[in-house]
Amino acid sequence: MIQVPILLADSEPSFWLPAPVSNFAGPIDGDFYFVYWVSIFFLVLITLLLGYFMWKFRTPPGAHAQSHKDHHIVLEVVWTGIPIILSVMMFWYGYRGYVDMTVPPNESISIVAEAQKWAWNFSYASNGASIPGMSDDFNVVRAQVRAGEINAEQAEAAEAKILEKAGLHVPMGVPIDVTVMAADVLHALFIPAFRVKKDCVPGRTGKLWFIATEPGIFDLFCAEYCGQGHSWMHSKVVVHETVEEYEKWLEVAGSYDETLPFDENGKIVWKRRGCISCHSIDGSKKVGPSWDGMFGSTRKFTTTGTPGEAMADEAYIQESIRFPMKKIAEGYPPQMPVVKLTDKELLWVTEYIKSLSQNSGGTESPRKEN
Amino acid sequence: MSQSETDARPDSDEVKSAAAATTSDESGPSYLTVTKTFSSWAFTLDHKRIGLMYLIGVLFMFLLGGVFALLVRTELFSPLAMITPLFADTAEAQADLYNKWFTTHGAIMVFLVIIPGVPAALGNFILPLLLGAKDVAFPRLNLGSFYLWVIGAIFFVYVLFSGGIDTGWTFYTPYSAESGTAVIPALIGVFILGFSSIFTGLNFIVTIHKMRPKGMTWFKMPLFLWATYSTAVIQVLATPVLGITLLLLILERSLGIGIFDPRNGGDPVLFQHFFWFYSHPAVYIMIVPPMGVVSELIATHSHKRIFGYTYIAFSSVAIAIFSFLVWGHHMFTSGQSTTMSIIFSGITFSVGIPSAIKVFNWLATMYKGAIVLNTAMLYGISFIFLFTIGGLTGLFLGVLSIDTHLHDTYFVVAHFHYVMMGSGLVGFIGGLHHWWPKITGKMYDEFLGRIGCILVFIGFNLTFIPQFVMGSLGMPRRYYTYADKFEVYHQLSTVGSYVMAAGFFLTAYYLIQSLISGKKAPMNPWGGNSLEWHTPSPPPLENFHTVPVATDPYDYEGLEYDPATGNYDTKRTG
Repeated sequence: MIQVPILLADSEPSFWLPAPVSNFAGPIDGDFYFVYWVSIFFLVLITLLLGYFMWKFRTPPGAHAQSHKDHHIVLEVVWTGIPIILSVMMFWYGYRGYVDMTVPPNESISIVAEAQKWAWNFSYASNGASIPGMSDDFNVVRAQVRAGEINAEQAEAAEAKILEKAGLHVPMGVPIDVTVMAADVLHALFIPAFRVKKDCVPGRTGKLWFIATEPGIFDLFCAEYCGQGHSWMHSKVVVHETVEEYEKWLEVAGSYDETLPFDENGKIVWKRRGCISCHSIDGSKKVGPSWDGMFGSTRKFTTTGTPGEAMADEAYIQESIRFPMKKIAEGYPPQMPVVKLTDKELLWVTEYIKSLSQNSGGTESPRKEN
Repeated sequence: MSQSETDARPDSDEVKSAAAATTSDESGPSYLTVTKTFSSWAFTLDHKRIGLMYLIGVLFMFLLGGVFALLVRTELFSPLAMITPLFADTAEAQADLYNKWFTTHGAIMVFLVIIPGVPAALGNFILPLLLGAKDVAFPRLNLGSFYLWVIGAIFFVYVLFSGGIDTGWTFYTPYSAESGTAVIPALIGVFILGFSSIFTGLNFIVTIHKMRPKGMTWFKMPLFLWATYSTAVIQVLATPVLGITLLLLILERSLGIGIFDPRNGGDPVLFQHFFWFYSHPAVYIMIVPPMGVVSELIATHSHKRIFGYTYIAFSSVAIAIFSFLVWGHHMFTSGQSTTMSIIFSGITFSVGIPSAIKVFNWLATMYKGAIVLNTAMLYGISFIFLFTIGGLTGLFLGVLSIDTHLHDTYFVVAHFHYVMMGSGLVGFIGGLHHWWPKITGKMYDEFLGRIGCILVFIGFNLTFIPQFVMGSLGMPRRYYTYADKFEVYHQLSTVGSYVMAAGFFLTAYYLIQSLISGKKAPMNPWGGNSLEWHTPSPPPLENFHTVPVATDPYDYEGLEYDPATGNYDTKRTG
């Protein structure tokens, strides 16, 4: 197993901005501080004048103004002209930075980020590996830290363990071209440390790119509201120091251990491909029906408005995964996205669902605990 | 005009007899006391009574929206579940509940409070008075607008009791097309409120065109009228687009027509274009009228002629025009074309210029004035400070490269609260204090008023300054729970919201107290010279006992303060 490096970036976050660790962070922070100092200048100027006039010209009721001057063309020109000049500069800086961000260089590593309610999945063009974001596992760690069950160091180790087979991994110093997609509703891929963000729009593809400039582990958030699990839909970006290290990681992480029993691999599929977000294994109701005791039970559903009934056998389950809109389970919204499982993944997950009818299920992952 | 107006009043005979009974005495029956039956209020065509009913409705909705804001802030005090467990058992249900809270807060505040706040509530009352007119041009339409507002509000209350809505006030598709909550009733409510807004705008446009008094040319109008006029144009032109968009969304949800939902071949980004084509101008429906209020506040309470009248007037018109051309700046990361983003960014900066012009002219008005730091003026000054922050932080978001980082974070949340609440609502509350003596005929406690204003000011900044910081550090908006590193900012913000709430409750207390035991307000307590200060407080039903002639609204020299009555008496005419 390839260890994920637990490295802290050299750059420190400032009061206003996260640590600048991508090629865009420097220019964007420069633009930010230009606008910031202009703003501070005008805020201080206006506040001082406001405060001074309040103090200097305050009177009890009944006094008359000391001056009746009500226009001054030079003043008007000055305080119209200066903001115009500054605005043009700001627009220009923003325009320059933005155009750089829209066109990835040719020799970049391609990764596809797919968002669904409420999980990330990252596919790597070089070997087709499909790596999950594992939001729920990170949430478990978060919960354990808050409950005082583990300390910061243990949490870091636990996150590193999750990241062995999860998260968005990239090498340092190489352009990364990320295509973003969404399976159901709007999402947005947001990596604050890189200053990049792109909406994931169902039915369209979007693009963002960056070069990571320091190794380390950074937050990845969903920034566009997507319903119940929006705030749980986060993952991590891991920046490897060298391309070799990254490639070694990718080779191992992208594979299943085919010596494991089918149902155990099925459980990995359940977590990895985001089934976990909507289907519990302990009987509790989420967005979709629980898998606990599902296999072999009689399912009530509707097909294009007509109610029907069938036993949940292999065929029923595999049809429901491949064509989720065909039969909608009674009492559940028609919201399941098409998750493109490989044939093996489909087989394994079916075996896993089967196994859940034979013994009692596992544990629910805690999220925002009480 | 006056003929049809008299016909439009069912109670006009009653008025005449009431006025005749007290011909010479200026303390004849006011609009509040002239008739007392329920139907004389429910079916009134008097703009002042309609304005007052709007005011009560808007303030009640402000309370409701504020309660949801406090629920949201309390929940966010910690990344752990705070108060949602009181209402829901599972983590999933708790997150759903939080989503409903922030949606309800946003939708109520935008559609039921801020949009109608200044134009429909204060504007209805004050606009005909500023014009020296007896009423608005179409009194029946005015009453109709009010009842449409009431029906819209009823739909919202229905939504609350039928499980709420969780789409965010922006109703973005495809989530809003599939959300299992009461989306359609909310959309119908907003649709109806849209018509209320359109009718008010239409009414004001015609009133300002046709009913100005003798001698009041366009450039002798009080600036509040310029602001209201600009806003009315936006209301009439932009709101129908929202109506159509919401109808399409209702059809998408109910029939699956496939315009916005990609599963049926629709385009979710198209919805965003339609939505912001209205909702960006709507930001100016929320901010331009309070700017007009502040122009009146600053000039009146500085007792000095407004500085740069024509610049302020034209800046309102400029904002109204530019407001239609910048909607795409809400969508820099949405995947719209790069060229479009660049054009929208460029035009966005042009909106900043007229806003800056206004701020500098207000400052220049205060210079060498005779500033009375009463509650209304403190709100006016708060407005200038808060609007400055709101405007300057807008620059960050207009810069394409920075917006890529800040979009959909708490930085945006803080920015629009500075504009919509720190400026829009503070301007509204300032105007409420300015015209309170005129509306109710009572003076409120100035000491408590100043304390209330200072509490709101401190609380507001404490609530939203930390949100700028956490936003630029990467805290996304609309999050039920969050990473631990953001906790301290959320805690400061929550404490700030409680301070602000204390300020508003204090304000409610002394305003209600003034109704019960407040000193009787004189005709002109602040020394204003626009026409509303030349009629008794509260005004008689027909507004003026004698047909007024236009004054110079910003000439304060002919007024002398009488400490015995607290009134500014007119020393010379004209």
